[in-house]
Amino acid sequence: MSDVTTTHATEAAADTGTAYGLELGGPLDDLARVGPGTPFGEVLRRYWHPISKAEKATTTPRRVKVLGEELILFRTRRGEPALLHPRCIHRGASLYYGGVEEDGIRCCYHGWVFDPQGHCLEQPCEPDLGQHRDKVRQPWYPVRERYGLVWAYLGPAGKKPVLPRYDVFETIPEGQQLIVNDAGVGGGGPEVLDFNWLQHWENVMDPFHVPILHARFSGEQFTAEMAVIPEVTFEYTPVGVRSTQIRKLDDQRALRRRTEVMFPNLRVVPSPRLTPGPTNLIGWVVPEDDTTFRIFTLAVHEDPDFLVKLRSTFGGKPWAELSEEEHRRMPGDYEAQKSQGPISLHSEDHLTTTDQGVAMLRRMMARQIRAVTAGDDPVGVIRDPADEIVGITGGNFFLTREEALAEGLVDA
Amino acid sequence: MPSPAALLAKYTPAAVTAGRPLAVLGVDGVVVLEGEARVPARLEHLSARGKWVRDLQVPDGTREAVAHLARRYGIVWASEWGPNAHLALAGVLGLPAAPWPYLPVQFNKLAAIREYAAGRPWVWIDDPVVDLDPLPGEPGGVIVRVDPARGLAGLDLSVIDEAVFGPAA
Repeated sequence: MSDVTTTHATEAAADTGTAYGLELGGPLDDLARVGPGTPFGEVLRRYWHPISKAEKATTTPRRVKVLGEELILFRTRRGEPALLHPRCIHRGASLYYGGVEEDGIRCCYHGWVFDPQGHCLEQPCEPDLGQHRDKVRQPWYPVRERYGLVWAYLGPAGKKPVLPRYDVFETIPEGQQLIVNDAGVGGGGPEVLDFNWLQHWENVMDPFHVPILHARFSGEQFTAEMAVIPEVTFEYTPVGVRSTQIRKLDDQRALRRRTEVMFPNLRVVPSPRLTPGPTNLIGWVVPEDDTTFRIFTLAVHEDPDFLVKLRSTFGGKPWAELSEEEHRRMPGDYEAQKSQGPISLHSEDHLTTTDQGVAMLRRMMARQIRAVTAGDDPVGVIRDPADEIVGITGGNFFLTREEALAEGLVDA
Repeated sequence: MPSPAALLAKYTPAAVTAGRPLAVLGVDGVVVLEGEARVPARLEHLSARGKWVRDLQVPDGTREAVAHLARRYGIVWASEWGPNAHLALAGVLGLPAAPWPYLPVQFNKLAAIREYAAGRPWVWIDDPVVDLDPLPGEPGGVIVRVDPARGLAGLDLSVIDEAVFGPAA
């Protein structure tokens, strides 16, 4: 055998694992998909979800998409918000073209009028404005207003829970205000994020990406402290998964940062710019469908632009002003998560223990699917109004050297 | 679901000693990772060299149960803990220094197990929450579902031995 032949044979033996004939896996559809009848879509349909800023529910009908369902949001002239299925039950014209009146919306085609609960109030071409109008019902969903948001319940009638309150928003300190944002705070990209919602939600339980993606790789996108690789404790809570991240700082202090995911889709991520103390903001990751989602965020702060200023910058520039080359060179959350695909191929993941938060979240999602399939409530569903206030434990807590020493978080 | 070939195309697990049936273990099927244990157990505080920390409960009798399986089967981990399942649990379970092979899968593990077993007899011991796809009527091996609040110590291993080796085991 010649030397050339030997070299080729050696190289051929070493060329394993090439992409030739690559066969890719697929998503965990049971967890990722949200449409009616899907396993986790049914879990999501056991909770209230924010669907719009309250100020955007007006007497002009607006198309909204929630959990794969196209719906029409409007506010009657009396001020009541309403969420109806768009297809008029008479002959199918869309209520998007309807006219909002005192007590409901009038279809543009033959004038049938529906109230926010879908009752037909008038059929103007029929005798006596419709002698049998009380026999029909436009499909509708219950909506409520709280904290400057419109909340909707898209689940079975008999399972509707109490709409939660959150302790952090119940008492607004003097000089501060409630800030409502629907522009994708925390997503690191556009207002409507164009990939599967789960990629974003599980990123909340991935604290190890912070010192890599947001510091070493793309430059300091938040603060110097966030560049330190933390020691992370993962734990289940009654309503989700929590990570506690300990960072030993150069000045002998320690930072204890606690983030949470809470079912069904809450992201409790304290300010990455390290506003100290219990978190003053919470976000909700609300799927429009399987490949688009919104983030609704509430915060309490004296500066009305607090959430806008919170957003990461890239070399000092906001995400929207980056060139394609700058996106490539300084990727952030949006680039990383969108590049996982429209719906990530979860079976391709090679998880390890630093991914435990992600794995724990997926496992807890699977458990909720089993609970709902068995006819039980998933975690976090509130039945008793006396339990309506939900406590939040996330935050940025700085420990002095003495405190850190006492807890064994830094070396003596 | 993806084919077994896709699941293991980018990862080559180590082989198990030939000649013995396989016992495929999910971490969730061995120790108690969530909620309170329903049997006497001790709390263990695991750390991977200052990176991640996790508290878990090890029911009394778990070490002995694992040792029993290791004497009779070739052990394979199948979990989202990947290579660290053996590393992290070695101390609390008294595992050998040389790590057992692992399959890096969290859900729908059956296809990967069948692919790996390649015709050898196997028993898969795990928590049922990992099954998102319904299990087939003829899985090709023995599947044992564990009460996640009891872990491996809640099982009668003689029943498993009999299912794998036959009544004379």
